Amino acid sequence: MVPENIQTFPSTVLNLGAETRATPLDDLETVVALYQSRVFRFLLATLRDRDAAETLTQETFLRAWTARASFREDCSLPTWLIRIALNLARDHTRTGRFRFWKHISTSAVDVDDVAASVPNREGTAESHLIARQQVALIWETVAELSPRQRTVFVLRFLEEMEIPEIAAVTGLPLGTVKSHLYRALNTVRSRHNAPRKETL
Amino acid sequence: MTLQPPQPPAPSGIAGCAHLTGEQFGELLARSAGSPEPSDALAEAHLRTCEQCAAELAALRESLALFREASSAYADRQLRLLPQWRIPLRHHGLQPAYFAAAAILLISVIPMQMAHRRSQLPKPVVAAGASAVVAAGDQARTAESDDALLEDVNSEGSASVPTPMQALDNPIVATENAVESGATSNQRKD
Repeated sequence: MVPENIQTFPSTVLNLGAETRATPLDDLETVVALYQSRVFRFLLATLRDRDAAETLTQETFLRAWTARASFREDCSLPTWLIRIALNLARDHTRTGRFRFWKHISTSAVDVDDVAASVPNREGTAESHLIARQQVALIWETVAELSPRQRTVFVLRFLEEMEIPEIAAVTGLPLGTVKSHLYRALNTVRSRHNAPRKETL
Repeated sequence: MTLQPPQPPAPSGIAGCAHLTGEQFGELLARSAGSPEPSDALAEAHLRTCEQCAAELAALRESLALFREASSAYADRQLRLLPQWRIPLRHHGLQPAYFAAAAILLISVIPMQMAHRRSQLPKPVVAAGASAVVAAGDQARTAESDDALLEDVNSEGSASVPTPMQALDNPIVATENAVESGATSNQRKD
């Protein structure tokens, strides 16, 4: 018996199209199990909306599956998936509908919730509180970055991608990626140092 | 001991003299542990001597690591709250079976539809043999019954009082008839 909270991909979409050669996407179930959390995490940090991130995560895998014949393995599968997710996120945020729903959305990410997810290592309550504040500060700062700076920052410091990999995902030259990353880091650094200067 | 004149601010980014530039910080932060790119030797040398830059870099690295950990943990928790997906398995062998079933269904439905339409059309006159005679007889009987029905309708339509109301047309005659019929029945009883 199928549980109620299980959603299914439309089988008509999945069964369309003839395969010409075997691709890693043929075993979609395994691919989803391996990379779903990564794609969702990237989209959640980029869009800051749980519902939108979920919808676009599903859309990413559907797009990947339908376009699996075009996957030439010139990059890794997760890189290819993140590229699809990034394109979907760009299309999604371009529309005025996204901006409208973002204002009234109840599934928007709460920075305090993210900060509360800081792992509680062995340390004092004070150090844990400081860690939470630092995470909240970075989340807030990243929200204020330009879309490109934010994308590059999230890919580097959340997805831990190397700069050439980021260039492959975004389609930007290496120098441009570095430039966006350094600017983003400068902004984060200045905001990060601001509380320390105030206390001094 | 001689007093040293105040030193002019040294150009930034030079090891041992000033603090790291924003770009040098960016490069150091953006570099991962196993990065193949050569590190900035000047910046590395400066970090060994400048506690302030080293502490700032360490604090930023720590914050970025916390950002990653917290974001990942939050995303994983949110993902667990969402309904799971079920990917339908693709059975290539089933597709021809579906097509065959659809074809059989179609083949069985089309003759039924044609038979249904044929039954709704007026029956054609068969012009040969015994079937023609039978058909003619049927038609004659139908015509007779139709005529009789029409005559009944005409007679009822032309009557001044409808058939169900005839008993009320002349109540006196109806009463007499009833009395007579009652007397007759009494005589019978006697």
